[in-house]
Amino acid sequence: MIRTRTPLHACVLVCALLLGAGLPGTARADSAGIYNPATLKAANGEQVYTHICQGCHMPDGKGAEGAGRYPAFVGNPKLASASYMAVTVLYGRHDMPSFMTNLREDEEAKFMRSAELSDAQIAEVINFIRTHFGNHYPDSLSAADVAALHPKAH
Amino acid sequence: MNGKNSSTMTRRQLLRMIGVTAGSAMMYQAMSSLGFAAESRFKKPIGLQGAPKGASVLVLGAGIAGMVAAYELRAAGYKVQVLEYNARAGGRNWSIHSGDVYTELGGFTQHCQFDPGLYINPGPWRIPYHHQGILHYCTRLGVPLESFVQVNNNAYVHSSTAFGGKPQRYRHVRADYAGHVAELLAKATQNHKLDERVTKEDQEKLLMSLRMTGALDKHYAYVGGRDSSERRGYDIDPGGGLDQKAVPSKPIAFGDLLDSGLWSMISAGDDYDMQTTLFQPVGGMGQIGKAFARELGSLIRYHAKVIDIHQDESGVTVTYEDTLKPGSKFSARADWCVNTIPLSVLSQIPMNVGAAMADAIAAVPYAAAVKVGLQFKRRFWEQDEQIYGGITYTDLPITNISYPSTGYFNPGKGVLLGAYIWGMNATEFTAMSPQERVKAAVGYGSQIHPQYATEFDNGVAVAWHRSPFTLGCFGLWSEALRQKHYDDLCQIDGRIVLAGEHASYIPAWQEGAVTSSLNAIGRLHQKALATGAHA
Repeated sequence: MIRTRTPLHACVLVCALLLGAGLPGTARADSAGIYNPATLKAANGEQVYTHICQGCHMPDGKGAEGAGRYPAFVGNPKLASASYMAVTVLYGRHDMPSFMTNLREDEEAKFMRSAELSDAQIAEVINFIRTHFGNHYPDSLSAADVAALHPKAH
Repeated sequence: MNGKNSSTMTRRQLLRMIGVTAGSAMMYQAMSSLGFAAESRFKKPIGLQGAPKGASVLVLGAGIAGMVAAYELRAAGYKVQVLEYNARAGGRNWSIHSGDVYTELGGFTQHCQFDPGLYINPGPWRIPYHHQGILHYCTRLGVPLESFVQVNNNAYVHSSTAFGGKPQRYRHVRADYAGHVAELLAKATQNHKLDERVTKEDQEKLLMSLRMTGALDKHYAYVGGRDSSERRGYDIDPGGGLDQKAVPSKPIAFGDLLDSGLWSMISAGDDYDMQTTLFQPVGGMGQIGKAFARELGSLIRYHAKVIDIHQDESGVTVTYEDTLKPGSKFSARADWCVNTIPLSVLSQIPMNVGAAMADAIAAVPYAAAVKVGLQFKRRFWEQDEQIYGGITYTDLPITNISYPSTGYFNPGKGVLLGAYIWGMNATEFTAMSPQERVKAAVGYGSQIHPQYATEFDNGVAVAWHRSPFTLGCFGLWSEALRQKHYDDLCQIDGRIVLAGEHASYIPAWQEGAVTSSLNAIGRLHQKALATGAHA
């Protein structure tokens, strides 16, 4: 997976550096380097997690606590509702931004606001979380399920 | 460009176009220039006085907003206490120096190994001259200031896809863009294309002005020669004695310049927020927080994690944990409360305010931002490339490289800002470990400065969503959100008023924290006076 706007040697260099980091429990699960909005479209659920979600929810899914906290995905009963998770990713919650594609809002804010995920990616990353970090939920979410939660679907 | 389209292009379309073409830093500058981030309203010292006898105020957060409130309310005669989560004052006003230890959320700990005296500002790093509020407090508290260099004509603009990825001098791109545009307009004038819009007399003046502003030659052409080289520099500079004569440089062809997209990176310093003169405190931005802390002394209680805020008819009780004694519970009480806790954190703390304020607190997402400070064995940017301060802009994920505006010509090591990232790439850098962020910044930066490979020493990376005390960089208001919630956020609710950059029209700037705080305490003081003596 190569950034379309970066010369090949640059990506190879960066990927090598990332892989060479060798920090247990902190390294990414892949060598995708840094995405841009175009290449992000090809990211699967696990890649979305390791490139975006784990910034706050952490590589081990345990969340974190400081003056405030980021919820854990380990042993969190709220994960029983895949729809709740989808609504959270679509619309954001408190300081967490929306990751919906084409959220109807100001372009100014949208540009500053992190990444846009497709319905399929939102479904995939939720399915990933609900089957990792000690979770074994048998049901899964589809892109259509996520689409049904869009503002226009109501 | 089709004239009709350009005249009907909305602000939003323009922003989208800029956003697509350039990095997010450009976008922010564009936002600033279009009034999304407005200027300060600070006019004069607030000088509150005459607090009701015995009246008290509890300030939550010893950042800039909280400490301005504490400073002014104490001066007005209130009994003031401040609760601060961190072991230090300042909040996002912060510099990381040699020997500092920083543990971000997730437990990733960094030990800063910069040489003594070298530092990085993970948060605010420049103060525009018109941010008179924060400058007022610098003066009042005796914080020495020095110039912050925003525009450096000898720094670079860089596109990974233009000119074979070779960085171009800012001076070349800026001069050539202005020169070619001036020539184009001069030709249009001479070819009578503007006769309907510009009078004959004004056309003469226009041509003169174009020659002057675009560095055109006497034929109104922008070409290699003395005129253009006086702007863009010479291939061989003039010298003395029997030195070789000066050799003029050759402008970049207009088409290549337009194709490169580098024109999107040259206007930063024209924006109101970035215009000369800008300042930085000597020794790091964190000097302001330290000066406030010295001034307020024992008023500030550190390691205090607020866990509950409850107001009643006569006052406000705040329950907090001493983070050095996990599980401990303490409480503080005062007649009034100035609450500067970032909304990212406040939205998780129980507080009995009305639904309007509560909804506002819960509605604002926080922007991602990442900064990486890199120490090098020598100041190669000065020694090899004659870059003294200022900023190089790039379309790489690091967005920019900023060279220190202090310590010029120091023969020792140097620290530069190796990445300042917004938006999606900041989210991705946040998801890395600090060491990975540093390595990525070195990897990308070496495309601009090959010296990175041999000169890199060590680095520090701060991702604001992993900051334990803010859980994000700043309140990311949209116009729609502001319309719906902003006033409700700022209104006094009973005995509680909120303040901070998130309660201002100058988001992410310290001036927003200052003006928000002054406005909030002004209103609170009026209410306290109207309510009368100590309850």
